[in-house]
Amino acid sequence: MDMNMGANMNNQTVIRTQDINLWYGTTHALTDITMEIQKNKVTALIGPSGCGKSTLIRVFDRMNDIINGCRIEGKVFFNGKNIYDPDIDVIEIRKKIGMIFQKPNPFPMSVYDNVAYGPRIHNVTKRAHLEEIVKKSLKLSALWNEVEDRLGQSALGLSGGQQQRLCIARALAVEPEVILMDEPTSALDPIATAKIEDLITDLKKQYTVVIVTHNMQQAARISDYTGFMYLGKLIEFGKTVQVFERPEQELTENYITGRFG
Amino acid sequence: MVERFHVKLDDMKEEVLKMGFLAEEMLEKSVIALKDQDPELAEEIISKKEKIAALDFNIEKDVLRLVPLYQPMAKDMRTIACILKMITYLTRIGRYGKDIAKVVPELIQEAPLCKLVNIPYMAEIVGSMIHDALKAFETEDLTLIADFDERDDKVDALRYSIFRECISYMTENPRNITQCAHYIMIARYLERCADHACKIAEKIHYMVTGEHIEIG
Repeated sequence: MDMNMGANMNNQTVIRTQDINLWYGTTHALTDITMEIQKNKVTALIGPSGCGKSTLIRVFDRMNDIINGCRIEGKVFFNGKNIYDPDIDVIEIRKKIGMIFQKPNPFPMSVYDNVAYGPRIHNVTKRAHLEEIVKKSLKLSALWNEVEDRLGQSALGLSGGQQQRLCIARALAVEPEVILMDEPTSALDPIATAKIEDLITDLKKQYTVVIVTHNMQQAARISDYTGFMYLGKLIEFGKTVQVFERPEQELTENYITGRFG
Repeated sequence: MVERFHVKLDDMKEEVLKMGFLAEEMLEKSVIALKDQDPELAEEIISKKEKIAALDFNIEKDVLRLVPLYQPMAKDMRTIACILKMITYLTRIGRYGKDIAKVVPELIQEAPLCKLVNIPYMAEIVGSMIHDALKAFETEDLTLIADFDERDDKVDALRYSIFRECISYMTENPRNITQCAHYIMIARYLERCADHACKIAEKIHYMVTGEHIEIG
């Protein structure tokens, strides 16, 4: 039946979780999460600190595998295939599902090498091809105009906002389908934040984006779907317009109107 | 910070109610002034025009300050949206009261054509709609506005009957035209006030439930 659910997934669904439960040691961090991520849409996860939203986003590309004592039950279908099946190539999954973190984390190398790093380890060796990928990725991440004349300089010399867009370019260079973003603008100033938000809106034309944010206005601005999480549970999931204008659950209402959290 | 927002929102709701009861009073007293042929009362109503305009201005200013500062969501946002629309409707109602009061000195120069039975009755229904809408805003009790469709229909029917009656008087004697023209306008003002009360009720329904409905 589970496999059927995977096979019968709607064409527009890229990721579907089914009854995900996750424990860190004895701590039950996620409880019965079932949700769908739609193709070419931005899905936002909101909720108070410690509610499990970052844990959930890490479930989507098996980033929790590297955490000691983490145990997960349930299924996560990516394009119809359960990524927790034993025969799954995790590296391939993480190539298809890229991740951007809260703090920009460029490698201590040149701008060019940062973006070329992924393709290189995936065996792209021809210089012309690499250059093409680097240029395309930097253009997609709206950084090209700012760095085209300093591709050979250290990425650490870029501003915070530029570094974050570089990290997005680095993720795009391996041609993912989904981009996961864990509070990608919380370390950035408002102007850099606005650029990333504009970029996310552009990116969804080609990619599917899942973003964790503690900034509700940001979720309301850029996402198509929003999930509200509380104490490891997905309390409400729906279209962003509906969740922010007319939430169905009282808990959601209380959270987004600032009555708790 | 959010706590402060909710305190401010409660204060703003108080101000809207104050404005609402002022608009209600202006309309109600204007019809009393008309019925009792009381120019002093009419003058008192006209003098309240600035007060209601000031409330409208100040509440709008507060709303436009709160929105960017706190970026309200969900019911808070719906309440803010409701307030912003309500103050416009309430201003119109107050101004219709003033418009009715303005014709009182003119109408008392001549003996009334009829006992004006329909106008006070119409005003009573409209007044009850405004009052119930304000109470619904205060208490969020939607049963208070549940029969607004029927009440609005009744007001529309009364306006039409006043219109027909006045046409008859004017046909009988052209000397009646001035008075009748005023009566027709007053009936029209009252009907518009009922429409505004319906619009307010729609916004309150949206504020409470998040659903848009159409009344009247």
